[in-house]
Amino acid sequence: MSDAMPAAAGGEGPVVLSQRGQLKSFAWLSLRNGLLNLITLTLYRFWGKTEVRRRLWATTYLNDEAFEYTGRGVELFVGFLLALVVIALPFLCLVFGAQFLGPLFTLVVILPFYFFLFFIVGLGRFTAFRYLATRSSWRGVRFNIRGSARSFGLAWLGYMLLSAITLGWFWPAAERRLSGRLWGGLSFGDRDFEFRIDEARREKIYGAYTVGWIFGIIGYVVFIVVITGAMAPQLKAGGSPTPTLAEMEVIYAAAFLLALAYSVVFSPFHAAILRSVVSGIGFGDVRFKLRVKWFDMAGLTLSNIFFLTITLGLLMPFVEARTRKFLIGRLETSGGADLNAIGQAQGLPPRFGEGIADAFGIATI
Amino acid sequence: MEARFHDGRTTASRPVKVWVEDEVLVFHADGEQRWPLETVRVEMVDDRVRVARAGDDPARLSIALSDWRDLTEHAVRHHRAVRRRELWLVGALATSAAVIAGVVFVGIPAASGPLARATPPDLERKIGRNLGGQVSLAFPACKGVAGQAALHGLGQRLGKTSGTPFDIRVRAVHAPMVNAFALPGGTIMVTDQLIALAADPAELSAVIAHEAAHVEKRHVMQAVWRSFGFGVLLDAVVGGGTGAGQQAVLLLGSSTNLRYGRASEAEADAAGQDLLTEQGLSSQGMAPFFQRLVNTSESKNAGAVKELISDHPDSQRRAAVSRARAKPGATAFTPTEWVAIKATCKDGYDPLKRVRSLF
Repeated sequence: MSDAMPAAAGGEGPVVLSQRGQLKSFAWLSLRNGLLNLITLTLYRFWGKTEVRRRLWATTYLNDEAFEYTGRGVELFVGFLLALVVIALPFLCLVFGAQFLGPLFTLVVILPFYFFLFFIVGLGRFTAFRYLATRSSWRGVRFNIRGSARSFGLAWLGYMLLSAITLGWFWPAAERRLSGRLWGGLSFGDRDFEFRIDEARREKIYGAYTVGWIFGIIGYVVFIVVITGAMAPQLKAGGSPTPTLAEMEVIYAAAFLLALAYSVVFSPFHAAILRSVVSGIGFGDVRFKLRVKWFDMAGLTLSNIFFLTITLGLLMPFVEARTRKFLIGRLETSGGADLNAIGQAQGLPPRFGEGIADAFGIATI
Repeated sequence: MEARFHDGRTTASRPVKVWVEDEVLVFHADGEQRWPLETVRVEMVDDRVRVARAGDDPARLSIALSDWRDLTEHAVRHHRAVRRRELWLVGALATSAAVIAGVVFVGIPAASGPLARATPPDLERKIGRNLGGQVSLAFPACKGVAGQAALHGLGQRLGKTSGTPFDIRVRAVHAPMVNAFALPGGTIMVTDQLIALAADPAELSAVIAHEAAHVEKRHVMQAVWRSFGFGVLLDAVVGGGTGAGQQAVLLLGSSTNLRYGRASEAEADAAGQDLLTEQGLSSQGMAPFFQRLVNTSESKNAGAVKELISDHPDSQRRAAVSRARAKPGATAFTPTEWVAIKATCKDGYDPLKRVRSLF
């Protein structure tokens, strides 16, 4: 038999991302994972999530080759146990211990801890992103991320405080900067991604945010009026303000409608921030554009809510797959890269995955 | 067979020829490569398979699915091995889940009684004091001194009869509901709305005796242990997650907690009536009071549904049971005391003013 043939010719070529495969298979996977979660008191979820990701990655193609997800369920499980011991247990002890202190001491102990929790959430987001990056590879070459989880956590905490002080008006800028930190720190093998904030700023986000903010407040006021209206007869009669069953139904229905309304009024912003972040990302000469309009986004969100509501969350893997198909189908690239000459990433990947993010329920995929 | 080889050092894709020799996959790339079939991992990707060596080696072979099937019987064997491993995993997880479920739904409730009795009364008093401080912020005490003294007196008498190590302190409080509850360590709170609803001393003393029985039987501490056990274990399993499955498990946990709560309520009804009888007091007030609860507008909608979400057994059923056990006796409060109790919460308390004063 002959020896290996020479490597395929190098040189820059176009970069095309595509999503192949059928969504139907994810519906079956959802059902299977749901059943296994049921009989294992949800302990299977780490392995189930891994299988979903493996299939999602295997159906996402860069040119002629699919991505590969190399994470394992046991890594997520151990990461979860570690987060439980390192964060959840001390938190529980603190809250329990505070019961024996005076109210002032409780305030002194608990309040800083809540700030610390915001920091931890930021830290969790970064480590989850790092885990996903290091478990993603293409032709055997891994992704990685530069930067420190701690500084990301601090930035997250600071941006959250600024957003709170500005009644949410800093949030769009914060979200763009935080995403920029993650994507700008990403590398594929020995090549770095970059995030150009000036490019990202060309996509305006504040107009869309204003729409969401104003209609969001109007929606909230209407919600309050509806529930007060539902309870008014009883309150007037001097009865207890504890709602009856019928009133609870009205309140739940109103809250659900409010959630739907929020997803619609904020869809221009969600579309704008995605467009903005994506247009800031660069990989060598390759630039990205996301062609997503607000009504596409609203349609996607509403249909996802529909699928999740009627199946009580069971169809989550299916929803993730269709969301990815939606985004990749609207992603355009320009410029070229030599995809045959990228070297392997240096350094070892982390051993365990996203326990912190998982403990706070913020790992999206 | 033709295949593409990625050596894991760069993204270069090289065409190679592969064949199988004695259950070993052989190809040439930087010298001869021999991958024993027993050790390779295979992943199906559309119409191709991705073959990797065991461990962290990033090198990959990409072979057309049809070629892979022709190349080796191993494809089928590998598929079976993966299935077997998965079955083992699911089996092990399901067994762990069953053990955890056993501990949570049977072990912890069964252990909560002995644990409560083994809890040093001093610790329970301490927990009660802290909890009492927090509850008082929301539900301030009524200002009528004579009424409070009369309620306190009944608590002391019932405490002595029951032989509980705790000093039973009954307190009338302002709260937006008809309720009475015992805290760990012997404090009993009776709301202004409950006092307004009680028609005579027998009814109010029955409610207080019911709560005193909770203290005597250490039900409150039992509930603390039960909630602690449910909370810690279930949270550890589901991770405080927001998924539907995780919420379902938590709901199951809290419904079990309520079921045990209802058993305690029934026990306290009976023990409370016994306490009154031992004091020579009438225990006939319990049934009419439950009946009154049924008749109030709050309890009008669907008793059965309400019972599912409440830790008190359906009031109508409780009324029937306590009517059967009731014995006549003396009145718990003198007419003067009763007037004072009825007036004890009429102290011009304004909840809105109270909320404003907190900020």
